[in-house]
Amino acid sequence: MASGAEPGAMTKGFLGSFLEALVRSVTWRMAWRNVGRNPRRTLIVGSAIAIGLGSTIVAMAVNYGMIFEMVASAIRTEVGHVQIHGQGFDAKPSIDIRIEPGQGVGPGLVEDLPEVVAWAPRVRDEGLVSSPRASVGVRLVAIDPDREAKVSVIEESITQGQFLGDEPRQVLIGERLADRLQVGVDDKVVFSVQDVTGDLTGEAYRIAGLFRTPSRGLDEGALFLPIAEAQRLLGIGEAISEFVIISNDDRQLEALAARLEERLGADFEVRTWEELRPMLVSMVKIFDQMGWIMYAAIFVAMAFGIANVLLMSLYERIREIGIVLSLGMPPARLVASLLVESLVLTLVGVAFGLALGLLGVWAVSDGIDLSAWADGLDAYGMSPVIVPVVRSSDLTQPVAIAVLTAILASLWPAVRAVRIRPAEAVRHV
Amino acid sequence: MLEATDVSKVYETRGVETVALQGVTLSIGGGEFTALAGPSGSGKTTLLNMFGALDVPTRGMIRLEGQDLGALSAAELAHLRLLKLGFIFQAYNLIPVLSARENVEFVMELQGVPGAERRQRAMAMLGEVGLADMAEKRPLEMSGGQQQRVAVARAIVSNPRVVLADEPTANLDSKTAEKLLDLMQEMNQRHQVTFLFSTHDPMVIEKSRRTVRLRDGRVVDDELAAA
Repeated sequence: MASGAEPGAMTKGFLGSFLEALVRSVTWRMAWRNVGRNPRRTLIVGSAIAIGLGSTIVAMAVNYGMIFEMVASAIRTEVGHVQIHGQGFDAKPSIDIRIEPGQGVGPGLVEDLPEVVAWAPRVRDEGLVSSPRASVGVRLVAIDPDREAKVSVIEESITQGQFLGDEPRQVLIGERLADRLQVGVDDKVVFSVQDVTGDLTGEAYRIAGLFRTPSRGLDEGALFLPIAEAQRLLGIGEAISEFVIISNDDRQLEALAARLEERLGADFEVRTWEELRPMLVSMVKIFDQMGWIMYAAIFVAMAFGIANVLLMSLYERIREIGIVLSLGMPPARLVASLLVESLVLTLVGVAFGLALGLLGVWAVSDGIDLSAWADGLDAYGMSPVIVPVVRSSDLTQPVAIAVLTAILASLWPAVRAVRIRPAEAVRHV
Repeated sequence: MLEATDVSKVYETRGVETVALQGVTLSIGGGEFTALAGPSGSGKTTLLNMFGALDVPTRGMIRLEGQDLGALSAAELAHLRLLKLGFIFQAYNLIPVLSARENVEFVMELQGVPGAERRQRAMAMLGEVGLADMAEKRPLEMSGGQQQRVAVARAIVSNPRVVLADEPTANLDSKTAEKLLDLMQEMNQRHQVTFLFSTHDPMVIEKSRRTVRLRDGRVVDDELAAA
């Protein structure tokens, strides 16, 4: 017979034995079989993990879909990725702060930047729009129709009539504003505004089209005018108030803004959408935190479930553990085997949870129609149809947390296990 | 090989002291096939546990190949059990989720014996105990006698100095018990492994070459069987 290991060999430390056990296939094989010893119990805990994880994935996908839609909607309807204004415009938006031709803000500024896929100039101001029946204070958004169609969805949002064309004396307003003014397409409204000298001026315009966007603010309180007409009306020559940019790389917007700032100098404000809409950024953070709270609630419950199963299984196998300890299994290997058992149980649940979550997301992938509550949602710039969005982190994070939970859940049973005295355990009935 | 010198063991449960062993001095030589006999409560299992490095004496000294077990830490005792001792318990000896072969391989796996050698030695040993065709069966698919034979194979295969068996035939019918005893004797002779077992079964006592009788925690008789 071949000889065994020599008795003089040094005992490995706790960590050494523990790590060695983790990589031994027999540890995983025994864990897998032990998990299968009580199928009903495994099924109950596995289902709890799977349902908890699956519902978290669906909830996170819907949450993030909502946020993603809000951000995308804000970018597409008005904000763009990056905006350039004259210095001080952020604090006091008015035509007093303008970008004059020759100051370097125009096509030449962005033509060598490959990430810039579209840009458009705008003039912004505030004025009063009146119909024979009502007058409403509005934001003036004067646009270059051809360029604007590339940076925003305003053209696609036309529900009646048509988008702005070559005719200067025409405007676009939202459906909600049209309701308040009790006007429709082809009706005339008067737009009054203070010009650059402070004099009140105004013109009558024909309504070319009505739009409906996910933004209630835009629908209720904005008036779109051709930019050349606005410049004439306000007496600002060819000056603009805003230069909006769309990039094809929304993860590098800060770098893009920094480059533009470097080119333009201190006379201009270059802002990304995150700086322009800090509330949206806060909402993204809040939703992320809500996600962590959901994870915590689900996984704490999961940890108790797993620990309970392990403790029950430990008690049932106390004699068996006595035997393996008698045979010379180091306590570290026992701890490792319990940890692996916890991991196997958790990972089975996680695998089903991932499948369940992705199936759930697929089931609502056409979008969840919240039209019934749309009146409330559009106040936040949200679309009534929420399409779930799964980020890779929404899959990797819960798996990582599940593994951590499995490790933590095995600690208590492991401490109990290493305290088992083999001489007593082998006689346990 | 194994020595107990003036060993006493007192258990204390809720303030009540129970004396399990009182001043036992005993020496077991290499290659012996010795029974520790006595009625329930005589201290035979306690003494076996001391020799098996599973328990420590309240007083006195236990030595295995001259090494004082009282001087070793729990981890060192586990290591010593792994390398020098084999165990056969009364019943439910095997790990239920492992096959007969995997059970036999288990201790070698703990010892770090490479997989191919482990498998070959396990199969050879299962052949020796007459269970080669049961190698892939799980314990629940085997009879009590077959399970005990696998336990014998597991105890022997890792080349221990001593095999300690705690009433190994207690749960077996007399015919199966006799076969198991014959197997243990055969292993004792073929592999020159010391066998020390506790029993109160007259048939087991009859088959042992040396019988140490205990009563109330003391050695009351120590006799060698006629050759």
